[in-house]
Amino acid sequence: MLAADSYRFRLTRREQARAGKAAASRRTPKWTMHNIYEPDLMKVIETRPQTPDVKSVKVRFLDEARARDFSFRVGQFGIFSVFGYGESTFNICSSSNWKDYLEFCFRRVGCVTEALWSVEEGDVIGFRGPYGNAYPTEEWKGKNLIFLGGGIAMPPVRCAVWYALENRADYGNITIVYGARTVADLVYVDELDEWAKHPSVRVVRCVDPGGETPDWKGEIGFVPTVFERAGVPAENSVALVIGPPIMIKNTLPVLYRMGIQPSVVYTSLENRMKCGVGKCGRCNVGSFYVCKEGPILTMAQLERLPADY
Amino acid sequence: MSATISQAELRELVASWIAQGKRVAGPRLVAPAFRSAPQVKPACVFYAPLESSGELSLGGFIRPANSVKEFIFPKHEELYAYRITGQGIELSEVEPPAVEQVLIAARPCDAASLPILDHVFNWDYKDELYDRKRQLTTVVTLACTAHDDACFCTSVGLGPAAERGSDAMLLELGEGEYEVRCLTEKGKALFDGKLQASERVASVPAGPEKRFDAVEVGAFVKEHFDSPFWPAHTLACLGCGACAYTCPTCHCFDIVDEGNIERGVRARNWDSCQFTMFTLHASGHNPRPNQAARQRQRIDHKFHVYPEKFGEILCTGCGNCARNCPVGMGVLGVVTAL
Repeated sequence: MLAADSYRFRLTRREQARAGKAAASRRTPKWTMHNIYEPDLMKVIETRPQTPDVKSVKVRFLDEARARDFSFRVGQFGIFSVFGYGESTFNICSSSNWKDYLEFCFRRVGCVTEALWSVEEGDVIGFRGPYGNAYPTEEWKGKNLIFLGGGIAMPPVRCAVWYALENRADYGNITIVYGARTVADLVYVDELDEWAKHPSVRVVRCVDPGGETPDWKGEIGFVPTVFERAGVPAENSVALVIGPPIMIKNTLPVLYRMGIQPSVVYTSLENRMKCGVGKCGRCNVGSFYVCKEGPILTMAQLERLPADY
Repeated sequence: MSATISQAELRELVASWIAQGKRVAGPRLVAPAFRSAPQVKPACVFYAPLESSGELSLGGFIRPANSVKEFIFPKHEELYAYRITGQGIELSEVEPPAVEQVLIAARPCDAASLPILDHVFNWDYKDELYDRKRQLTTVVTLACTAHDDACFCTSVGLGPAAERGSDAMLLELGEGEYEVRCLTEKGKALFDGKLQASERVASVPAGPEKRFDAVEVGAFVKEHFDSPFWPAHTLACLGCGACAYTCPTCHCFDIVDEGNIERGVRARNWDSCQFTMFTLHASGHNPRPNQAARQRQRIDHKFHVYPEKFGEILCTGCGNCARNCPVGMGVLGVVTAL
């Protein structure tokens, strides 16, 4: 697709009437085959810039019956698309308890995310899902939860945090350590404040050395270092660690030193995915198909896989 | 007791299938596009749609340069169409597969690929685009009478007259006669009433000698993931993807939107794990950053992952990868070096 075409496309869409877009969108009736690649049409109900290059988007099913019947388990992902540009895979970062909308969060890095960046309230995009496995929230019951997130990897942690807070009695202490390169790169900052207000919830936010602003009140340091300094009790805990490979690599030794075993340290292995249904052959790590058997797995499982991720 | 058909009668039968409106595809001699090319690139036999039975090539080649998968799993396949108007998005179905298809004179190594591919296209999510075409297709194989040094069907459990995936099989008897073995109801229906009873039974050649042990290959790639074998033997790979595109069992695909500001289709196109961008993340990280890693994945997928998941090797030993590889490697080159 030529860059010139996409520029014209965006101008034309913005110039057109906005009202009635969702109401006028539809799927022609009576398809003769069940098509596993067909997306649901979703209305964008809110877009929110989180950082200079990250936005979160809330969408609702156009089809009311589908909206009523749809459910997913926290941790699963969806394949969102802008018609004319393509599909992209994102974690569904809203809690599975929320029935009014689905939310995803993305960084503007390429063709599809550039188009998503121009999407506005009232526009219609596509959604396929839910795909993948989910956080083992049943196994986590009764445990203390440690959530460690880095940068754009916060959204998949965010939905787990909300889920735990909404089922508060099922879980023990909750610790959240979240860091980004700079203050401007932190996402969902208002929610971090809200979480800290809950009983037995501790929120530690940090930025990389050099990423602080003069009025920064949080910690300064990389997530693994800040987490170690935080002196979180380790007994009866499970950890969810999602972030850039370097962050995970440096966080694991800290967790293991604390006595938290690889079998209870979870991560989300978000490989590049396309079909989401195990057919396009792209996401596998050895015989582990990220879209079918993942993306959530424990470090114990990850250690048994070839280093192909 | 067997059944036979003469070549003339076979061609008449093919003509009748075409006349009935069936889509018939089989080996066809295709001249190169550039007139000056013959000394560089001779005319080649490809599986292609046949417009007349005269186009069907029944001899003078080991096997076509491509595979039959493109008639069930096309190179470019529209999944659905969208219209973008000022008023919203409209999704519509594209024409579902409806035309009956006959693949005539497919090699056993091509026919066998279809039941192997059935597993992945029906793994939990049933791909009806694929399944419908499968149901509409009848496969008539032409057993092999010779092989070349790129063939290795016998190393992956197949052979010159392997019946896997065939609805009917033709075996050369000589003198323009073929023995016909109808293996399924579909095959019987196709040849019903057209065969002569006979005492002649075709002799099947031995096939290529076994070149390697497929189980050992699977075990090696699983246990020696970090072995220096991979860079040492695969760095010659150019990442051109010719192996994947001509392979009967490779099925990786990409999903793209193709169209203009008003309307388009979301389609799937063939892709290959040998391409640099295949696993490239948006962050810039590439889990398989070089050809060694990508070639290792190819062998891993074919000889370890697919057997582990579905009980079958994702390879039929046709040798297209070795024949079409610009550096003479292919899957065969890598596994025989193990």
